[in-house]
Amino acid sequence: MTTGVRRRSRLLRSQHIFAGVTLTPIMVYLMFFALLPMVWAVVITLFRYSPTRQGDILGLGGGNPFVGLRNYLDLFSASPNGQLFRVAVKNTLIFALLVLPLNLLITLPLAVLIESVRERLKVVFRTIYFLPTVTSMVAVAIIWGAVYNPTFGLLNLALRAVGLPGRPWLTDATARVLGVPIPMLCVIVTYVWQDMGYNLVIFIAGLQGIPETFHEAAVADGANAWQRFWRITLPLLRPTLTFVIVMTMLSSWQQFVLVDVMMGHGGPSNVTRTLVLHVYETAFRFQEMGLASTVAMALFIIIMVTTLIQMRLLRKEWEY
Amino acid sequence: MNQNQLSRREFLRLGAMTAAGALLASCKPAGPTTPTEGPGVQPPAEEAITLRMWSHQNPSFVAANEATIAKFREANPTVTIAYENFPYDQFIQTIQTSMAAKNEADVIEMFGSWVQSYAKGGTLAEVPADIMSMSKAQELFYKAPLDGYVWEGKLYGLPNEYNLENGAVLINKRMFEEAGIALPPKWDSWDALVADAKKLVKMDGDVMTVAGFHYVNGDGLGFLYWEGVLERGADYFANDGIHLNFLSPEAKATVQWLVDMAVVDKVVDPFTFNPNSNWVGTAFFQGMVAIGFIGPWIVPEGKRNYPDFADPWDYVRCPYYGNQMSFAADSGWGKVVSPNSPHIAKAWEFSRFCAADAANARAWNVATSTVPALKAVAEDPTLLNDMNWLAPSLEVLPYGRYVGMLQDRDYIWYNVIATRITECMQGQRSVDETMALMHEEANAMIDSKLGG
Amino acid sequence: MAIAQNQFSSVPGSRGRRTLSPLIGRILVHSLLIAGCLLSLAPFLWMLSCSLKSSTEIVRLPPTLFPEKPTLQSYRTIFTDPRVPLGRFYMNSIIVAVSVTAMVLFTSSLAGFVFAKYQFFGKNLLFTLILATMMIPFQVVMIPLYLIIARLNLVDNLGGLIVPGAVSAFGIFLMRQFIEGIPGELIDAARIDGASEFGIYTRVVFPQMGPALATLGIFQFMGTWNDYLWPLIILRTTERRTLPVMLTWYNSQHGSRTDLTMAASVLVILPILIVYFLFQRWIVRGIALTGFK
Repeated sequence: MTTGVRRRSRLLRSQHIFAGVTLTPIMVYLMFFALLPMVWAVVITLFRYSPTRQGDILGLGGGNPFVGLRNYLDLFSASPNGQLFRVAVKNTLIFALLVLPLNLLITLPLAVLIESVRERLKVVFRTIYFLPTVTSMVAVAIIWGAVYNPTFGLLNLALRAVGLPGRPWLTDATARVLGVPIPMLCVIVTYVWQDMGYNLVIFIAGLQGIPETFHEAAVADGANAWQRFWRITLPLLRPTLTFVIVMTMLSSWQQFVLVDVMMGHGGPSNVTRTLVLHVYETAFRFQEMGLASTVAMALFIIIMVTTLIQMRLLRKEWEY
Repeated sequence: MNQNQLSRREFLRLGAMTAAGALLASCKPAGPTTPTEGPGVQPPAEEAITLRMWSHQNPSFVAANEATIAKFREANPTVTIAYENFPYDQFIQTIQTSMAAKNEADVIEMFGSWVQSYAKGGTLAEVPADIMSMSKAQELFYKAPLDGYVWEGKLYGLPNEYNLENGAVLINKRMFEEAGIALPPKWDSWDALVADAKKLVKMDGDVMTVAGFHYVNGDGLGFLYWEGVLERGADYFANDGIHLNFLSPEAKATVQWLVDMAVVDKVVDPFTFNPNSNWVGTAFFQGMVAIGFIGPWIVPEGKRNYPDFADPWDYVRCPYYGNQMSFAADSGWGKVVSPNSPHIAKAWEFSRFCAADAANARAWNVATSTVPALKAVAEDPTLLNDMNWLAPSLEVLPYGRYVGMLQDRDYIWYNVIATRITECMQGQRSVDETMALMHEEANAMIDSKLGG
Repeated sequence: MAIAQNQFSSVPGSRGRRTLSPLIGRILVHSLLIAGCLLSLAPFLWMLSCSLKSSTEIVRLPPTLFPEKPTLQSYRTIFTDPRVPLGRFYMNSIIVAVSVTAMVLFTSSLAGFVFAKYQFFGKNLLFTLILATMMIPFQVVMIPLYLIIARLNLVDNLGGLIVPGAVSAFGIFLMRQFIEGIPGELIDAARIDGASEFGIYTRVVFPQMGPALATLGIFQFMGTWNDYLWPLIILRTTERRTLPVMLTWYNSQHGSRTDLTMAASVLVILPILIVYFLFQRWIVRGIALTGFK
């Protein structure tokens, strides 16, 4: 009895030692390069800071005075900063909340379709559909900017070829579809195009993990394709779906390169001004990094809250 | 395939790569090391020193700077200048992150209207009196570009370029000929220009394919607004010289005029041609603009990006309102020096070599096709041999003033003026509402920048 | 791998039955997929087509879909541009991407293992902290990160890209998900056999991680290869820069040479495509073996 307990505690101790020895350097490393900057970012929200102004200690104080909670209050006031902030929040919400269903509605059926064809064709299709994801977002923004160009872009070219008129896709803020400005929709389409490869591959893997026997049993029971999809495939994909939903939203909240390179300066009438773009502009163009950091904090809270809600709503199930 | 065997090989391979990576990370590639000594370390005279210089990535600017650097090297063999350039869109990021770490370059080619906020913040070095005194600078340079580099009576840089948008317009001569308008056009008033522009408009059904007079762009609207207010006898600044006054009758008259040209005279369609669509710099060289409001700095860009644009073009004096021409200009590209540089004196010598030496400045202006900030270069009659389109622009140089400290130049210029005027043209608001909105937005931003 | 059955009908061939409805179903599926492929590929083909156009044709209105006289002039311009050390760019990118990927694979698998299979005080808090580091926009941490790199004397140095990238929160997250799927019994069995903790890692966990490592590897390689903003901040000298800088090389302040930019884009994407082709069959297998079921 005692030997068993002693052995177990020795085992536990060696486990703890291993965990400690392995994890500590890695965590310290991560905290140094990831957490320390975050702490700095939080600290400067309490200052009026810009590197273009001379400070005292570590760049703070002096020309970059301590202002307490003023940046936070500014965001919620009627000042131009507050207004731009609210516009940015709205745009970011529109972006993230439209990207998610659009992405899922494309990638999941697509994954199902790809899974249904012959093995060799599967590989071909998977590769082609993953190509956009492999491309740098800068390149994607440049290419799609050229595609949307009203005079010599591919989209208007194609439309005119079938007799439809072209239109200024990225520059007319007044045109809306269901209340969403068309430039924003264009950005969403481009983003989904680039991003769908990830989810596609994950869904395919998830589908492949569902044993054939389930489907065979369902067929034997007389279920048709739709019923099988809704009753068997979808519930079994729930852990996959959770991961996909969380990660898709996480990256869409933080998308910057696309809006910056393709639209620049928030687009016409600021319709594509997302929070991250606003952070960048406030920090470097308007030279208020303290305020920009405050906006980033707001974004951080939004992301935290929505991620927690998602994970709670889509609690993982491990057994089937 | 045997899983275990493969994974053992995999493991070894990964281990080797990790070790290689760590090794590579720790070894620094050979090359010139960047000086990281703090300020105040003065090397003994005539010792070899390296200056770092940064500029943005425009190919003609890069070539011009390289030529000047080579000449400086001949005159100063102990000084090496390490020159790097950055994409324009990321340039301010690079400058500001480096300033935070105090390791920015010794000499930076900055755009004039950025300079005042950096100078105010204390992150630029003053021009030493022995390099150039303020009075000397005022004698040598035009007021408009120079004042961008002045803050609280002190000089913080030397301009190379007079960024000019007003005074002359770019015309497509072929379109004029086809419309039967005599060249060169002589416009004694804006109405005359508008009359010609109307003849030059081309429509394809409802869509305007050629704009008669395209001035609806981010920069142009601002410049026309300042000029309009000044020429109508008012100031765009309020009485305190810090806030802006959009509520004066002159301000409203100017905006009304801008809006009417698009909406009533229909010389340009603000839906097809606006700050976000068919920007005049590209649309002109695509054959979509007959008269374009854009400064001569577009010429090298147009030539480079549209090398086979065949229509003959030229710059023509554009009219002004009232009796005396008066406009506001945006300063221009010039050289500033970092206060953290270990070789401030030498850096200023180099800046002066670039900007104040007539021969070098002239060569720089010709290479970049920019309007000279140095009076000696602009008054040089042979300049037109190299840049013959510059003649009308050179005439108006003395009538410009520096636009002034707008606190948040980009926001006020683009987000307020250009955006709101365009929206007014597009029918979103009346002129009165637009003036009130601009007044509120601009001054609110100014207040928040002042720490109010 | 178990192949999920054709969702629309019984599987022809394996049952030897041929009816009309499966055939129409298959035609429909294949046409949809091929149409989707065209949409997926169209911008690439457009990019390729633009890169093969001459400088005159690229600005012609109305624009042409395919180059009338395909020319490699853009590529030639890039290769012979005296200011573009293309070879150095490729070399730098390869060094950075390979190093970072290798280090991330190592640290992520180890950390993921510990988070997945060990219990200790504060585990959930630490893991939440790791997730939190993924939720802050890069722009605000850019300056403090740069200050740290400057203090480490790694500015204008490839190390400035490699060192901060060695540990990846995303990698740890992914690996933890995967390793959680490895049955605890295997690990307990190894323990009973007297294996040390590190021995368990090398002998039980690591051998099963091949496909997951390949997955994380390709994602990390892609991310590092395509990173544009951070290298631009850290690397100053042209010879030290990485390949994505070519994407905006031919942009001037107000416009760009589209043909050259498109050619540059092709050159940047090409190596990634090659790496992807080499690793792609591992990816699906890898993710399938993760704890997503």
